[in-house]
Amino acid sequence: MDRRTVLKGLAGAGGLALSGISAPAIAQGASARTLRFVPQANLANFDPIWGTQYVVRNAAALVWDTLYGVDSSLQPQRQMVESEEVTDDGTTWTFKLRTGLKFHDGEPVLSKDVVASLTRWAARDPMGLMLKALQQELTAVDDRTFKWVLKQPFPKMLYALGKNNSPCAFIMPERIAQTDPFKQIGDYVGSGPMKFAKGEWVPGAKAVFEKFADYVPRQEKSSWLAGGKQMLLDRVEWIVMPDPATAAAALQNGEIDWWENPIADLVPVLKKNKNISVDIGDPLGNVGSFRMNFLYPPFNDVRARRAVLMAMSQEDYMRALVGDDTSLWKPLPGFFTPDTPLYTEAGGEVLKGKRDLDAAKKLLAESGYSGQPVTCLVAQDQPITKAFGDVTADLLKKLGMNVDFVATDWGTVGSRRAQKTPPGQGGWNMFHTWHAGSDCINPAPYTAIRANGDKAWFGWPNSPGTEKEVTSWFEAKNLDEEKAAVARLNKVALEDVVYAPTGFFLSYTAWRKNVSGITKGPLPFFWGVSKSA
Amino acid sequence: MLSYILRRIASTLPVMAIVALFVFSLLYIAPGDPAVVIAGDQASPEDVERIRQSLGLDRPFLIQFGSWVWRILHGDLGTSIFTNLPVSTMIGQRLGPTLSLMMVTLLLTIVVAVPLGVLAAWKAGSLIDRAIMAFAVFGFSLPVFVVGYVLAYVFALELEWLPVQGYTPLAQGFWPWLQNLILPAIALGCVYIALIARITRATMLEVLQQDYIRTARAKGLGQGGILFVHALKNAAVPIVTVIGIGIALLIGGAVVTESVFAIPGLGRLTIDAILRRDYPVIQGIVLLFSFVYVLVNLMIDVTYTLVDPRIRY
Repeated sequence: MDRRTVLKGLAGAGGLALSGISAPAIAQGASARTLRFVPQANLANFDPIWGTQYVVRNAAALVWDTLYGVDSSLQPQRQMVESEEVTDDGTTWTFKLRTGLKFHDGEPVLSKDVVASLTRWAARDPMGLMLKALQQELTAVDDRTFKWVLKQPFPKMLYALGKNNSPCAFIMPERIAQTDPFKQIGDYVGSGPMKFAKGEWVPGAKAVFEKFADYVPRQEKSSWLAGGKQMLLDRVEWIVMPDPATAAAALQNGEIDWWENPIADLVPVLKKNKNISVDIGDPLGNVGSFRMNFLYPPFNDVRARRAVLMAMSQEDYMRALVGDDTSLWKPLPGFFTPDTPLYTEAGGEVLKGKRDLDAAKKLLAESGYSGQPVTCLVAQDQPITKAFGDVTADLLKKLGMNVDFVATDWGTVGSRRAQKTPPGQGGWNMFHTWHAGSDCINPAPYTAIRANGDKAWFGWPNSPGTEKEVTSWFEAKNLDEEKAAVARLNKVALEDVVYAPTGFFLSYTAWRKNVSGITKGPLPFFWGVSKSA
Repeated sequence: MLSYILRRIASTLPVMAIVALFVFSLLYIAPGDPAVVIAGDQASPEDVERIRQSLGLDRPFLIQFGSWVWRILHGDLGTSIFTNLPVSTMIGQRLGPTLSLMMVTLLLTIVVAVPLGVLAAWKAGSLIDRAIMAFAVFGFSLPVFVVGYVLAYVFALELEWLPVQGYTPLAQGFWPWLQNLILPAIALGCVYIALIARITRATMLEVLQQDYIRTARAKGLGQGGILFVHALKNAAVPIVTVIGIGIALLIGGAVVTESVFAIPGLGRLTIDAILRRDYPVIQGIVLLFSFVYVLVNLMIDVTYTLVDPRIRY
């Protein structure tokens, strides 16, 4: 082998590398019918039942339709359903589908598809599991009619079928919906207003949705997941940008049209740009929280949990997270989303007013705390948990607690918080998280408020009083009864400190001014959105 | 020569096997659980366990490792836990952007760094030499993401000459392809340019003291001929070596650069996979990177024969 042979070989290899690889077109010329959108996170999978992350639900809402849809007044409205009937005893529901519904492969949407979809959904969703436990039969009566027979009434049926909390009851073709709910689907034939362009999907970088010409929207005005989902765009490109500064620059430069979730630090820059609109994205916001482990000292004693609640300042948590923009947060002396029908401050005095550190120390001493390490898990790769963790560490130290601050990543917190072993043996005493406000509007989707011990969410709170009031809410027959049940629930959950709410916070969304029709809501809605050149 | 190359390629197999075992073991003992990420924040422990079982993550280490090795031996890198796509497909989607970025950076580096190093050696001790070395120190000290932000601000936001982010395949045109790579390549190349320039200068200084350079000057050869034909050729072996070693730097730097400029390359795929604990993807990428690194070293060894005829295998 001589010099020329090697050089030829190298040149050939380089040429092959440059010419032979087809890769995604991330930077494409924009047109008025294409919207370029930066989502809150990477769309790493696309099965809204198997993977319940919000970003998956948000994308799925474009591709799959639901039987009902919750509107901006938080009421379920008919979506794929034309009519429903329920027997006087409340146990048999009969639903009729609208005419003209089609899947993206051109096949009509039939009752058998709905039955299969609801069966898969009910295996994973908390409300679905409740329905499944009550179910006598779920059957297709004819092509457009299906029947759900229950052993006892379930008044929240329509809410369950139309709620926007993940997983939503999306309707898929029967052959897809028959997939094991714990295994991922690989076929994305949908029933919604846009088709998923699987061939252009580059997980972690790009996802493309194209208008489904045969979609038949309802005639009513759209409102969140309800009403007419009129698509004014031909194509929506989701472009994943892990770096917020890059997304901000791309929005300013006109390389993207809409950034779902800009970080608070960059909002002032965006607000100064005359071509960009900035507004609150989701009026339901988020509820910050940290959870204490009920299984081990010191937080197995309610006095220790109450001591922490007495001493904590929600303002400290919120300012650490969003800075001095007071329009982005408010104190939350309770567990439910502010400005929603069931919001209550009953029992919230413990979180209001001047913080009493001395009384908290005294209560902590009464609980028998004697300086043992408190293992506090803090994910450093999530700005929210990082901010909360720093404040908590300071709070615990002020209380005289011996803090074992475990700085780690969200993936590790996710697995370690499931450990029921003692803190010194891989377990934990405390971890931080947050909940979407739309999950905290009532007890149905609110896993974090449940307090049924071993079956409860991480921390395994055991509060029979809380569970009793959750049941009362499910059985409530009208809004007044619901409000009364939730007020009692809020009070008892605060007394037992099911978890510690750190405050209510909002976030912005930002878009180019040539885009119109963007509405505030718990997820980005693309119907009704248009773009001028 | 051919038998040497074949022997070297064969010797990569045990290296790859050790890398595979090491990576697999590391991921097995590392904290974190993909089932937890998949199940979402509201999932019950029972749901997480069922997902873990469906993914086969509840099986003993040796069985998991054995089945993975068996698949690798059959040319199957596995399927991503999250996307349900073959790992080879995911790597294929991301290879183009990373390869393009690395090639442009490498080209830029060689075109800029080597002449700078030669110039600094030629003008050793002068203001030019000091300026070049100051630039090298500066380039070496600045983090890639800082350079990236500054470049994006100046050339994309203020001057509007180049795009902020993204990648366009070469198939869609040379200029669209290149304009997306210019800023990332400069950002990524800064450290590399500084390193190569310093090495070139040091090596050239040594060579320029040699007797044959004095002879070349004595017989009236021009400065350009002395520097680039006689001196640089003899200084090339250590420079080529450092360029090869620097490929590892490029791979590491590409992770940051691809994030800053939103380039859908292998670096970002690696980070995403690590954060989500997508084991098959991490294993596939690490195997690929280690193979590339071994291959680059082989190419460097072969290149020695081109720049120094005394070297034969």
